[in-house]
Amino acid sequence: MSPAQPLVDPTAPLWRALAIFRGVALAYAALLYATVFDEYARPVGGWLVLAGLLVWSVVVSDAYRRTRGTATGWLLSDLMIAVAAVLVTRWLDDPTRIEAGEQTLPTIWVAAPVLAWAIARGWRGGLFAAAVVAAADIIERGSFARTTVHNMVLLVLAGLIVGYAVDLFRRSDAALQQSLRIEAATRERERLARGIHDGVLQVLALVQRRGREIGGETAELARLAGEQEAALRTLVSSSADVLVRGSDTDLRTLLAAHSSVGVTISAPATPVLLPAECAAELAAAVAAALDNVAQHAGPGAHTWVLVEDDLEAVTISIRDDGAGMSAERLTDAAAAGRLGAVQSIRGRLRDLGGEATWTSAIGEGTEVELRLPRQASGRTRP
Amino acid sequence: MTSVPGDAPLRVMVADDHPLWRDAVARDLAEAGLDVVASAGNGAEAIRRAAATRPDVLLLDLQLPDLSGVDVARQLCAAQPSLRVLVLSASGEQDDVLEAVKAGATGYLVKSASRAELLDAVRRVAAGESVFTAGLAGLVLGEYRRLSAGASGRNPNEDVPQLTEREVDVLRLVAKGLTARQVAERLVLSHRTVENHVQNTLRKLQLHNRAQLVRYAIEQGLDTDD
Repeated sequence: MSPAQPLVDPTAPLWRALAIFRGVALAYAALLYATVFDEYARPVGGWLVLAGLLVWSVVVSDAYRRTRGTATGWLLSDLMIAVAAVLVTRWLDDPTRIEAGEQTLPTIWVAAPVLAWAIARGWRGGLFAAAVVAAADIIERGSFARTTVHNMVLLVLAGLIVGYAVDLFRRSDAALQQSLRIEAATRERERLARGIHDGVLQVLALVQRRGREIGGETAELARLAGEQEAALRTLVSSSADVLVRGSDTDLRTLLAAHSSVGVTISAPATPVLLPAECAAELAAAVAAALDNVAQHAGPGAHTWVLVEDDLEAVTISIRDDGAGMSAERLTDAAAAGRLGAVQSIRGRLRDLGGEATWTSAIGEGTEVELRLPRQASGRTRP
Repeated sequence: MTSVPGDAPLRVMVADDHPLWRDAVARDLAEAGLDVVASAGNGAEAIRRAAATRPDVLLLDLQLPDLSGVDVARQLCAAQPSLRVLVLSASGEQDDVLEAVKAGATGYLVKSASRAELLDAVRRVAAGESVFTAGLAGLVLGEYRRLSAGASGRNPNEDVPQLTEREVDVLRLVAKGLTARQVAERLVLSHRTVENHVQNTLRKLQLHNRAQLVRYAIEQGLDTDD
């Protein structure tokens, strides 16, 4: 698995922490040695080794800061230095002290390379380095002793746990980087889309105008351009401000889907909030009314939908400029149950606690007014 | 030039970032005998050139690359009270159309409007009339209701513009797609009266908007004196 290289290495703080650990561990080793160096067989050699470790600590910490553990050479050298520091104790120290299971010269400093491997290579790296250092410990002692085993177990656990934690950290960081990238890409795409949409809308509008003026087949092209313009405009405006606040839905976003060349939707600039199920029912009633227009108003009819929202009620008017019908015919048809759409719209509104009224005259189109009192919808205007 | 003799042709300026569109509109206007005195591709240019050429009518797209069309309308209407702004928008009736109208624009047209509709709109706006679409009427109605709802809840003393019953009737009919002539027939009014009602609704909104801006400025000024 190779996750995309993130801009900022997530392990950077870990390397800093390791550099600090190295310094503290070395200071601890030096303090410890200061109390026992006169018991060593070669006390000056011990100080020289500690000085060497100090130089190495500075050099390798700087290398890790730059390479972030990607260079295996530094990791191997680090491990070899630790092994050497452990093994050289056998030559420097008094053999009876070694036999007694005293601390090695670098003491806990040897955990630093193990942690470096864990950070750079995960739990497998940590386990490997811990095993190598443990082996050096055994060779230094020349036998198993309880303290040696104890130290080995701690070292192996440290390598495993830190390595595993770093693995987890890497994976979650990769996921985070990924989602950040997706979010940025989405935002950029939306920004581009807005610009492109505006340009496309302009060209479609232009084709529509020119085409109509030229007439003939071009007028047909103009009509098609007009349809696409309306569809795109709806898409842009609805994706831009879909608004759902709590369980409330903005009725305008539901109605926007009906906007087309033949249907104009007029609404306030502010959201018309209704409980979601209530808004859905109203939108369904509007859809039924628009279907009705498409069936009965005749070809070329235009429909205007007006949404009004005041303190008392939400009112939606659907007016067409189609054939219309006489008032008697309207009532007759309703009475005879022939106006299925009318019945269904009226039923929906009644269930919501509102009302639907029709007005029509021959040659003047038909108008439906859906009125839903605010109390009935269970919400007063915010 | 086909303009009426003795009558100077209307001086029009077109502000739109889309060159194709800008040129087509300018050509249409010129062919109809109007004098296209300037065109601009962004807001800053529009403000500069309008100040230099003093057109009668500004055709303004709301989507400009630098300033918003609303800002352009606000600045120009404040600087040149005689300028009439006709908003042309491709993206449909949205909040910014209402804002532009509150800032002083007196007309609004979608870009897919025909050449005849455009010319008619330019001439009417120049003559001091308001050019409404059904969508704009819906927005204006909504704005009045929003203002009065806010006033009744908060501060009853606040001076909030109200529509007369007649004005509501007129606006509702316009929002339902009736032409001014149809509205006049329906309400048994003269065409002229209907026009006046429509213009009043806009003027009250613009006055209120300006008063609010002034009040806001004064409040800010007083606050800094504390």
